[in-house]
Amino acid sequence: MAATRTASRAGEIFTTLEYGPAPESHACALAWLDTQDRHLGHYVNGQWLKPEHRSSVPCQDPITGENLASCLQAQSEDVAAAVEAARASLENWSTQPGAFRAQHLTRLAKAIQKHQRLLWTLESLVTGRAVREVRDRDVPLAQQLLQYHAVQAHTQEEALAGWEPMGVIGLILSPTFPFLDMMWRICPALAVGCTVVVLAPPASPTPLLLAQLAGELGPFPGILNVISGPASLGPVLAAQPGVQKVAFCGAIEGGLRLLIQEAVWDETMRRLQERMGRLRCGRGLDGAVDMGARGDAARDLAQRYVREAQSQGAQVFQAGSVPSDSPFFPPTLVSDLPPASPCTQAEVPWPLVVASPFRTAKEALAVANGTPRGGSASVWSERLGQALELAYGLQVGTVWINAHGLRDPAVPTGGCKESGSSWHGGQDGLYEYLRPSGTPAWIPYLSKTLDYDSFGLALPSALPAGPETGPAPPYGLFVGGRFQAPGARSSRPIRDSQGSLLGYVAEGGAKDIRGAVEAAHQAAPGWMSQSPAARAALLWALAAALQRREPNLVSRLERHGVELKVAKVEVELSVKRLRAWGARVQAQGCALQVAELRGPVLRLREPLGVLAIVCPDEWPLLAFVSLLAPALAHGNTVVLVPSGASPIPALEVCQEMAALLPAGLVNVVTGDRDHLTRCLALHQDIQALWYFGSAQGSQFVEWASAGNLKPVWVNRGCPRAWDQEAEGAGPELGLRAAWTKALWLPMGD
Amino acid sequence: MATQGRGEAGAGGRRKGSTEAGSGSQLCCGLFDMSAHQQGTELDLSWISKIQVNKPAVLRRAEQIQARRPVKKEWQAAWLLKAVTCIDLTTLSGDDTASNVQRLCYKAKYPIREDLLKALNMHDKGITTAAVCVYPARVCDAVKALKAAGCDIPVASVATGFPAGQTHLKTRLEEIRLAVEDGATEIDVVINRTLVLTGQWKALYDEIRQFRKACGEAHLKTILATGELGSLTNVYKASMIAMMAGSDFIKTSTGKETVNATFPVAIVMLRAIRDFFWKTGNKVGFKPAGGIRSAKDSLVWLSLIKEELGDEWMKPELFRIGASTLLADIERQIYHHVTGRYAAYHDLPMS
Repeated sequence: MAATRTASRAGEIFTTLEYGPAPESHACALAWLDTQDRHLGHYVNGQWLKPEHRSSVPCQDPITGENLASCLQAQSEDVAAAVEAARASLENWSTQPGAFRAQHLTRLAKAIQKHQRLLWTLESLVTGRAVREVRDRDVPLAQQLLQYHAVQAHTQEEALAGWEPMGVIGLILSPTFPFLDMMWRICPALAVGCTVVVLAPPASPTPLLLAQLAGELGPFPGILNVISGPASLGPVLAAQPGVQKVAFCGAIEGGLRLLIQEAVWDETMRRLQERMGRLRCGRGLDGAVDMGARGDAARDLAQRYVREAQSQGAQVFQAGSVPSDSPFFPPTLVSDLPPASPCTQAEVPWPLVVASPFRTAKEALAVANGTPRGGSASVWSERLGQALELAYGLQVGTVWINAHGLRDPAVPTGGCKESGSSWHGGQDGLYEYLRPSGTPAWIPYLSKTLDYDSFGLALPSALPAGPETGPAPPYGLFVGGRFQAPGARSSRPIRDSQGSLLGYVAEGGAKDIRGAVEAAHQAAPGWMSQSPAARAALLWALAAALQRREPNLVSRLERHGVELKVAKVEVELSVKRLRAWGARVQAQGCALQVAELRGPVLRLREPLGVLAIVCPDEWPLLAFVSLLAPALAHGNTVVLVPSGASPIPALEVCQEMAALLPAGLVNVVTGDRDHLTRCLALHQDIQALWYFGSAQGSQFVEWASAGNLKPVWVNRGCPRAWDQEAEGAGPELGLRAAWTKALWLPMGD
Repeated sequence: MATQGRGEAGAGGRRKGSTEAGSGSQLCCGLFDMSAHQQGTELDLSWISKIQVNKPAVLRRAEQIQARRPVKKEWQAAWLLKAVTCIDLTTLSGDDTASNVQRLCYKAKYPIREDLLKALNMHDKGITTAAVCVYPARVCDAVKALKAAGCDIPVASVATGFPAGQTHLKTRLEEIRLAVEDGATEIDVVINRTLVLTGQWKALYDEIRQFRKACGEAHLKTILATGELGSLTNVYKASMIAMMAGSDFIKTSTGKETVNATFPVAIVMLRAIRDFFWKTGNKVGFKPAGGIRSAKDSLVWLSLIKEELGDEWMKPELFRIGASTLLADIERQIYHHVTGRYAAYHDLPMS
């Protein structure tokens, strides 16, 4: 009976030549779930943790809806237990020689290799993703990540001297992450000597499996701990004593936006539709399927977007029809969206491609850069010159030329703008989990009394403050290359260490900040396009000017109560800083060699844009120069708030800058520091903010930065040794002063 | 059915002749409408002047295609039988004689053991290989053997100074005419690689045009010898020129170069075939040859055709595999599918 059925089908298939099912057996994934009686807890300190009296959520096959297991939901006690385990193992782990940690990571890579089938079937089963994507890409890359970071750990003592591991790292995963994104973060953290607590979303067994593989390696069970629970536990994790950093892994891999030059529009669309028509949707565990499903929420989102786009007049191409109650959504090409329609502005959901035409490369660049996102992009062109120009101009973390989606552990991947400012992979990724040796540990202390609505809101009234001690020149605000009167038309008194009046400086406010930022933006394109040599020359010229002005600067510092000897050192060091950064600027960027690609990957260091710096009160000249020099060297334009107590030395430097630097490159605004900090933090068009001041101010700056995810650097009220090489001119400043862009250049004719 | 008269071939200048060649003859028995030829077009160098092949992307696609479309169980058996019907069963050796050519022809007629086909209920579908392919001097033997076996499987002959093509044009053309006279209905010609490497596209077009004319009623399959063309961009250009000049098939290689049928080269040729179809409406066939030995390979080749050109190309009128040992491996796989056992060497007849 069975034989005849087989036979009749062969004849039929011989005519239709259709594809058949090619199911990957997931028996081993189910067997693994059975070892836990289909009841998953948390994996902490090398053991399964299944506390009593916890709620649980079902883990379902997103395609069949079948219940695979139930997963316990963590409560704050469980978070605390996991952090405690990570803390307990931190000392042992971080003090091991790098070579030893390297061996441990290599063993984990081997463990993954041994159990790769379990890993890929489990991941595909519970996420619905196409198994070939997990099997052919994610699992090998996970092993490469471990091996790459093992090598980094091996050379850590030499290559990363002067840096130490941060400590316990909290990692919060979003509900739609692939397990690989967890690997991108835990590998560098473990390599440099941190220990990790992962808060996985409810019902995600793969991180638990990885934790088990790591835990069963033996000597260091507590370095990787995984708990599952709702996102609301995130703040609980962040507030645990000992947690030094919390990394988020947001939702990723959305739809795509495609810009096509009008001249090749028809041809490209035709080819695209042809290719999309051959993509196969289906159960993730089928080896012949290109696209799986991502659950009902993703499908509904795509459906809503398509309906809305259609109502706004768009053309929609869908390869094949999928019934509306199916868990799958076909690859969809949307075109002819009117430029101003809401869909054009909105983020494109998976698995959609929105195509729009452009006329010139310049226009394409403007459109591509005109979004708040800055993750990755690819440029397709046969003209390498043009492709390179576009690639350099794109404000995104990764650009592939004539390729897309390649990843390698050696290449830093990150983004700019709202795509975040952290890096995974490469050297840049390691620094995410390191801090300069001797930096005080971060205490997760948030002042409950800080009122974000009123911090720095009120401007103190400036009143006449008695007789001036000597004839002081009236200092204005240094904006757009010249001294200007402040918008408020009032001044604030500056006193010396004895309390007698030194003079008045301008009382800057919101309007002055706005003007300064505008001036900085105007100067930005010119400064960015300067060659490193030209930037260096200007910094050296400024150094020479400071040297000439030394007696004057020393006397200003003395009047602020600085001893003569110290004042002399301060000026000398300031000159030295400018020279040093001028020299360093010329040795930036490098080419990387990676496995997956024939050809180089360029690691470029890109200016942040307009950088706002609130200088500390101490070292009024040296701190000002130490912060200014790396910012300028890396091609940024700057808005600075100088020392509040002693702003005059900085303003003296401005007099030199007025003659030397292009207008708007450096802008210095004096006034009430809290008020100016508030104005800067809430300005959306400042690309980064460095704040050296009070703990409260730091807290405010971090809170405000959430508004547009601008990178911030705050000192949390801790003073810095600006006269020491490490803290005053260390590599940390250079790292903070630019962002990294990776440019993939495949070769071959 | 195509109606354009053969007598007009060589006059040139006609394009978009009737293009439905073979689409009405969805036969399973290796019988094709031999009067339908791809007429080609006038030489239009603008079709190749701007072409630039993105090699890294082609290599990536080639790598993916091998892992993304596994075909299993009954599907595998049916696909393997389809592959059998697309084989140009080939012997191109110095020591070929009438006896081994005869054996080859018998194998072409009965490629899979009858009882195995019966088990699959495919015994009455007339499954034979698409053609037998021999040197010009062996065409007579093959024609005779096939006639004796009572079947009309076409005989293909290589020609034009195979495999290097380094002989005078006059003798190359004469070689075609003689093979056709002996009864070959398909001619596999090799192109003059010198013309490609030196960029003489017009001369290449003219030569293939003359091959076309010399073939008369016979099908023209043009071997590009891609392993010797230097770059994928040249492969695309040579493909396009061969199609414009009226080739019915373009074929990857002779099997005698150091690099033969590879997936990257195939992707470039298939894209050229698709572009030519989009421009003219003419369907040109594709024949990989050289190094295709395993049943698994043949499945990948079929899925590659399905993905790049679609189901309508997955038939012997538009797809051939040039191979000699492939058939044996396919038969072994069918044996395993039917019996659940792996065959011993002596279980299956040799070709």
